[in-house]
Amino acid sequence: MKKKLKNFIFTELIYHEDPASFGEDANLLEAGLDSMGIMRLIMYAEQEFDVTLPDTEIEPDNVKSLNALEKWIRHACQSQ
Amino acid sequence: MKETTDLPFNPADYFTFVLDQEIRNDGMPGGYCGFALELAEQPDLEGLQERLDLLVKRFPIASARITRQGKRYAWTPTGQRIDLERHNCRQDEHSEQEPHRILLDIFNRPNTSPLTMHWIAAGIGGTLLLNWNHPLLDARGAKILLDFLASDNPEKFKETPPLIEAKLAQWSFWKKFRLFLKAKRHNSIANSVDSCLPTQVEQGPQVLRLKVRRFCEEESRRIAVLAQEHTGLAGRTLYYLGCFIRAMEQAGPPAAKAGYCIPYAFNLRRQNAPTPIFSNHVGCLFARATRKQAQDRKGLFKHLLTQYQQTIREELDLAYLPLMWLGQWLSPAKYAGLLRKQHSGGELSTLWFSDIGDLSWGGKGFLGVPVTGMFHLCWMTLPPGLALLAGQLDSRLTLSFSYLHPAIDEDWLDSVIKHMDAELLESAEA
Repeated sequence: MKKKLKNFIFTELIYHEDPASFGEDANLLEAGLDSMGIMRLIMYAEQEFDVTLPDTEIEPDNVKSLNALEKWIRHACQSQ
Repeated sequence: MKETTDLPFNPADYFTFVLDQEIRNDGMPGGYCGFALELAEQPDLEGLQERLDLLVKRFPIASARITRQGKRYAWTPTGQRIDLERHNCRQDEHSEQEPHRILLDIFNRPNTSPLTMHWIAAGIGGTLLLNWNHPLLDARGAKILLDFLASDNPEKFKETPPLIEAKLAQWSFWKKFRLFLKAKRHNSIANSVDSCLPTQVEQGPQVLRLKVRRFCEEESRRIAVLAQEHTGLAGRTLYYLGCFIRAMEQAGPPAAKAGYCIPYAFNLRRQNAPTPIFSNHVGCLFARATRKQAQDRKGLFKHLLTQYQQTIREELDLAYLPLMWLGQWLSPAKYAGLLRKQHSGGELSTLWFSDIGDLSWGGKGFLGVPVTGMFHLCWMTLPPGLALLAGQLDSRLTLSFSYLHPAIDEDWLDSVIKHMDAELLESAEA
């Protein structure tokens, strides 16, 4: 899951000179993930992993890193 | 020198070209935009000229002219040099306003150049103005261009193909067709609610004027916190738009109709990407609300946020790309009619808006000189005759209001700006 998310983020949303070196706990918001990017990332995750991510849970803690994103998506999958 | 081949307009270049033509048809200079950096000292102007020369050498489109090729348009490089134009402020009792007066003189003169650069000297510092024709590049591109001019390593800036066409190429014909129909239906809904406008005047000679509202670091921080509270991670852009709609409603729209519609762009470049510099790589979104919705502050932000989320969920942002692609085969006049006119025949856009985002030249400054301030300006069609450009320099928000005089009543605009302050800061009057 993290590999797919990372690939989408660095292909579509954020430029990084060396995406491979971007850590799983590194801050995506500081790296340039903006509001439009967050929404597009959520849409991608919902389609790719067949899950609905509740609007009320769209908050910095859930999108700040690859690990946070994976945890949020897995939790949403289990709740459905 | 690079091989100087023509570069056909991409769909978003043509979109902005059509609006440029609309502005020129009304006797104004065209779709020009300005990015002004206020510098604490004079930078190395010879070094800057050398960098402009390198810009033309590396990117011949920087000094190209627009040529018609059948039904389409393209940039044809001329190889002409871009001269850094130098201006000096008078030293008298009006000297504080001098940089703005000179800057507006530059903006109001007839112009056919795609890009010009000016140093307006005032005391030991001054204002560096990048003035460009919008079909050439968008605001994000202008920021990258400034980074190129100030970079220690200009070699890293390489041009890449248009992102819109790359996106369109990923989709099947049927996906494009479905998105096109979706965008058309969405447009039709937008065109059914007549937009309030900031002026009733639709013709007559106009000049461009500018009012700049700067917020200190503490105010800017408060605005960011309030934006997070009201519009969540969808961010400050929606907050600015909602505050403007409320400010205009409170000041009383000069052309009062059923609601508000503010188009704004989203950029297809990846965040922090050093390329592409030239061409437009944007799609279009709309912030829409009825006058009734504008009266409830919390409700308005909730409505705008829901509208935004729905737009992204339904891919309406991307739906505009095939629409713009097809628009390339329409004449400028026909396309402009579709872009601007509502079912009633009125103008769709209440305001021209752009959020340039967060900028910083950090400790290094621009060519080694501290950047103390920043503002933006642009021409727009009449109506609406008013544009709001927002940007943050080192976490300090600046709102630049460009407007047409005499079409826009300046007392009315002052009242809007006062209400906007109260709305942004959520002070007692909001």
